[in-house]
Amino acid sequence: MPINDLATILPELLLVLVGALLALADSLAPSLRPRFALLAAVAVAGATVLRWAIPLPGRVWGGVLLVDPMARFVDSYILAALFLCALLAEPYLARTGARFGEFYALLLWAGVGAMVMAKSDNLLVIFVGLELLSISLYALNAFHTGNVLSLEAGWKYLVVGGFSAAVLLFGVALLYGATGTLSLASTPAPSAPLASGGSLLLTGLGLVFAGLAFKLALAPFHAWAPDVYQGSPTPVTAFLSVVPKGAALVVLARLVAALLPLAALPRWTGLLAAVAVLSMTLGNLVAIAQRDLKRMLAYSGIAHMGYALVGLVAFGQDGVAAVLVYLAAYTLMNIAAFAVVSAFSEGEEEPHLITDLAGQGWVRPGLSFALAVAMFSLAGIPPTVGFAAKFLVFRAAVLNDLVWLAVVGVLNSLVSVFFYVRVVYYLYMRPLPKRQPQFSEPVLVRLVAGLCAVGIFLLGLLPGIVLAGAEVAARTLPR
Amino acid sequence: MLLSALTLTPGVVGVLLLLFVPRGAVSLHRWASLLASLVSLALAVVVWSRFDPASATFQLVEARPWLPAYGVFYRLGVDGISLLLVLLTTLLQPLVFISSWHAIKERVKGYVVAMLLLETGMIGAFLATDLFLFYVFWELMLLPMYFIIGVWGGERRVYAAVKFVLFTLAGSLLMLVGIIYLSWLHHAQFGSWSFAYEDMRRLVIPMGQGFWHSPQLLLFTAFALAFAIKVPVWPLHTWLPDAHVEAPTGGSIILAGVLLKLGTFGLLRFNRVLFPEAWEKAAPLFIVLSVIAIIYGALGSWAQKDIKKLVAYSSVSHMGFIVLGLFVGGIAATQGALIQMVNHGLSTGALFMLVGVIYERRHTRLIEDFGGLAAVMPYYTGAFLLTTLASIGLPGLNGFVGEFLILAGSYRTHPVAVALAATGIVLGAVYMLSLVQRVFWNALTNPENERLSDLAWYEGVAFAPLAIFMIWIGVHPRTFLSLSEAAVARLIGG
Repeated sequence: MPINDLATILPELLLVLVGALLALADSLAPSLRPRFALLAAVAVAGATVLRWAIPLPGRVWGGVLLVDPMARFVDSYILAALFLCALLAEPYLARTGARFGEFYALLLWAGVGAMVMAKSDNLLVIFVGLELLSISLYALNAFHTGNVLSLEAGWKYLVVGGFSAAVLLFGVALLYGATGTLSLASTPAPSAPLASGGSLLLTGLGLVFAGLAFKLALAPFHAWAPDVYQGSPTPVTAFLSVVPKGAALVVLARLVAALLPLAALPRWTGLLAAVAVLSMTLGNLVAIAQRDLKRMLAYSGIAHMGYALVGLVAFGQDGVAAVLVYLAAYTLMNIAAFAVVSAFSEGEEEPHLITDLAGQGWVRPGLSFALAVAMFSLAGIPPTVGFAAKFLVFRAAVLNDLVWLAVVGVLNSLVSVFFYVRVVYYLYMRPLPKRQPQFSEPVLVRLVAGLCAVGIFLLGLLPGIVLAGAEVAARTLPR
Repeated sequence: MLLSALTLTPGVVGVLLLLFVPRGAVSLHRWASLLASLVSLALAVVVWSRFDPASATFQLVEARPWLPAYGVFYRLGVDGISLLLVLLTTLLQPLVFISSWHAIKERVKGYVVAMLLLETGMIGAFLATDLFLFYVFWELMLLPMYFIIGVWGGERRVYAAVKFVLFTLAGSLLMLVGIIYLSWLHHAQFGSWSFAYEDMRRLVIPMGQGFWHSPQLLLFTAFALAFAIKVPVWPLHTWLPDAHVEAPTGGSIILAGVLLKLGTFGLLRFNRVLFPEAWEKAAPLFIVLSVIAIIYGALGSWAQKDIKKLVAYSSVSHMGFIVLGLFVGGIAATQGALIQMVNHGLSTGALFMLVGVIYERRHTRLIEDFGGLAAVMPYYTGAFLLTTLASIGLPGLNGFVGEFLILAGSYRTHPVAVALAATGIVLGAVYMLSLVQRVFWNALTNPENERLSDLAWYEGVAFAPLAIFMIWIGVHPRTFLSLSEAAVARLIGG
């Protein structure tokens, strides 16, 4: 094994090692527990620096991993999400008395799983990355052992996750049968005979897509999301709502790019478009009926993956770049929202009712403003990054002769404004209730929310910063 | 740089206030916001002085790359059409701050920040010559207005605010798809990405067969829907009475004075120029709708018991005149529509301001609660009377100029529409004069009205500029008509 190959995965190695050290330190040096968050954050920052410092050789480890601009782009945002979630977790764990090293170890390993998934070319390695991510998350979901909802969330995610992993693996097996290779890049050329393997290939593709759709919480594979979002510790929800989805979406993009010439194109695009429309519509309509903020954000997430999928339906360089920008935008706004949610809750067992936000805008202006900004960004109103991302996705759709899909998208945006704006309405236009809820405003939560809000505006005004990287990344896909 | 300074000064001051000035520093917020709006006004006057009315193209142009690979540029430019409306905006904004000085006592910080961001959005939308930038400014106006209505508004403010947001967004989101489609079309026809307004003028947009297969008709609809909701064109007007009545005085002034004009401005700037064939096809429909709006709005006004609601419905009627002038076309009618936009901004802005004055004193706006105010508030009565006469089109005041030009420009081609619209003018006189009679002349029966104080000095200061312009435009309209002549001629000429 050449030493050069080892260097290409230094960021992953660093995170795995620091995770293991934190797990050990928990029993060896418990007095360090209050510093774990900081250590984890420093490790993540170090991994980010490493990722940008080492060159991008492309195909390494015998062709199994692709360390290319795409991988670096996705890594950057997974690491950013990890960093923010690690900071967010510290006040939460302190409050619930669960400040254990294992939490950060699992968080870092989950991140590594996502990073492996997003840069793999081999279907089995993708599966391994997915499992590393998922198994870490099963434990993290249920980390708040005193809360029955948290346990329920862990259990649900375990059952659904196990099931979807099996579906995915079966799909991988069929694909292997059809193409004779596990590598995405070395699938046979379009001219190769498909007569015998055609249906096998399509079934396998469909199953792999279904497995990924579970992770993405795309309708009709979304049913687990509201309960898991609601029950999981809020910092974990924040992580769960962005990282696995980002990784799965990139895998999907690589898969589509590699197999597109093989599969029957219209059928495949039609399937993706149908799922996108269904997710957008169902997510937005059901979100209107939600009274719990975390559940509302779960349905909003379902809708947002629908928007992102529009970019993949359009495909081409514009579409993939739009999806990547969408992921970055989604990460910022979702983590901002969950950061504020974690502050605006009295106890973790309590539901996070939207009505409890009444009047907070004038009592806790900073955090409320961050939440309002996140809501407007999710609704796609300029000058936020949410608008820039939606603009790019819909632009990709129009450019690829899918005007109808863009119209469905903007109409869905209109529906979504209703429930996003309702949060703002409670924050600023309702009087404070007589019994004032006991909310805390930990410094770290304010920091995370503030960083995200600044990012939302900065990237909203200057989307070129992230778009440039996304375009370079998109160019690495074949076609 | 001049146009950027004009556009961004209020917004930047607003953001600075938001981030760095504590909530408690109420007078600092008030003074800083007033000052920012005055600076904008001064810059607008500088733009006016440098503006060459003989040239029809955009002047003082600025262009900076924003997303150059996608053809998105930060482009500003001013022509005679936008200059008039920018002058109106920057004139009204300081008056809003003055008239809100004592009216807004709570959450002053939020109010002035929202107003300043709104001003940047409005000026930017008038000056943007890149469709993407235009859309950003267009949407930037939405949230401040949502907050202004929803937080500082009347009893049913939340309903009104949400209705305002949903109506406005419903129109503008389809326009976004239309804008993207135009840029794609530009790429298809010229091989480069662009959102520039001047580039869009060169596009050949196919008319196709039928509605669903006609890109031009579909694009026209996507844009017209956004603007027609804003105007509002009957039957899309239902958000307007709610929003106007529930908004605080400052919000109503801006809403009626400027925001509605963005709708007619957009129709003229984009629909008329970019989709000429579709415009011709849609003109009969819009002429009918505008005549309905004129009469419906006037009758609606007549039936109101609340003064503010009466003024709100009168806006539907007056905006109908403007839309009529635009769709009849021709230089006279278009010029008339344009000057009428300014007139309506002045007179309706003044009316809302004056209604705010007595609402603050009596906390009621019901006509029946008043009567005989002329005896106790002579200056106030004079101001209200002047505005009323301007609004109903008395020769010598501004309203006459606009209505005359619209009707004179239309009667040859659309005699029936003109005849019906003229009844709207008569109805306008009826409801406004009967309002004046009931509020100011009838016997002073209600003892609560006996000790009302007349206009305070700052209220007089806020009203005076509006009065000056009402008379100026009425007596010497050429000052303003000549500004837009070249630009309108270029528009009509195609």
